[in-house]
Amino acid sequence: MQDDTDTARATDSVYDRIERARGALTGPQIAIAVALVAALGFTLLFVQDPMLHDSLHNFRHSAGITCH
Amino acid sequence: MATDYLERGAVAGVAGGLVYGLFVATVGNTFTAGLETFEHSHGGGGPVVSGITTTVASIGGGVLWGLLFGVAAFGMAYFFLEPAIPGSGATKRLALAGAGFLTVSGAPWLVLPPQPPGVEQALGTETRLAWYAGLMALGALVAVLAGLAYRRTERRHTAVRLGAMALPLVLLAVPVALAPANPVHGDVPAALAAAYRWTVVFGQLVLWATIAGVHAWLGDGDTPAVDDLDYPATAD
Repeated sequence: MQDDTDTARATDSVYDRIERARGALTGPQIAIAVALVAALGFTLLFVQDPMLHDSLHNFRHSAGITCH
Repeated sequence: MATDYLERGAVAGVAGGLVYGLFVATVGNTFTAGLETFEHSHGGGGPVVSGITTTVASIGGGVLWGLLFGVAAFGMAYFFLEPAIPGSGATKRLALAGAGFLTVSGAPWLVLPPQPPGVEQALGTETRLAWYAGLMALGALVAVLAGLAYRRTERRHTAVRLGAMALPLVLLAVPVALAPANPVHGDVPAALAAAYRWTVVFGQLVLWATIAGVHAWLGDGDTPAVDDLDYPATAD
C-alpha cells in the first residue's frame, strides 16, 4: 500500500500537471485566464493612446520600461 | 484544483502589487518627476494629462503589475512547473520569483538598462522592443536550463548543484557582446542616472520577493499529488 502512495508522489511531474489541467479546466476557463494576462500586459505596456500612455509614464519608468 | 492555484497567485500578486504601488507612490513618481526637470524637449509636445492623473494611474499601474506577475507566474506557471522547481516551501517560491525577475527584467536590462526620463537613446523604439522580447526569451531559457542543471546533479554536493545552476547564466554574455551600441544623451548627471537605475532594480526585486513571500505564507492548500486521482486513494 505504501508503495502506491510513493509512486503517485514520485510521478508528480510537469507532464502530470498538464494532464490534470486538461481534465479539470474547460476551454473557456483557459481562454479567460490567458486573456486576462494578455489584457493586463497590453494595457500597461503597449497601448499608445496618449491619455493612457502618458498617465502610465511614471509607472513605466519605475518598472524599467522605456519607450522614448 | 488549478483554480486554487490561480486564486492564490492572484492574491499574492495583489499583495505584492500593493507594496509595489506604495513604492511607486513614495519613490517612483517623485524620483521620475524630479528627473523630468532635466528634460528640455519631449518630442511629442509634452504630456496630455495632468500630474495628478499620472500619479494615480501610475500607482494603479504598479498594483496591476503585481497582479499580472502573480497570475502569470504564481497562478499559472507555478501550477505546471511546481514539480520541477528546485527546493520546497519558500525556497521554491523564491526560485520561481528569481526566474521571473530574470525573464521580465534581469536579462533584458543587461542590454537595455532602465533609463531615467530626459535621456534619449540612440536605438529606435522598434529595435529596442525586438531586443527586449528576445532577451526575455533568453532569460526564460536560462532559468529553465538552471532548473534542469539542478535536477541533473541530484545526489551531488549542494555546492556542486548551485554551481551547475549558475552555469547557464554565462549564456547571457552572448547578447551583451553582440548587442548594437546604444549611446544615450541627456542632461541627467551619470551618478543620478545610476541611482535611478538601481532604484528601479530594487523596486522590481521587492515586488517579486513580496509576491513569493505572500504566496509561501498562503501555503499549499490541498496536497496536490493526492487529490483528484483517477483511482481511489489508498488508506494508510
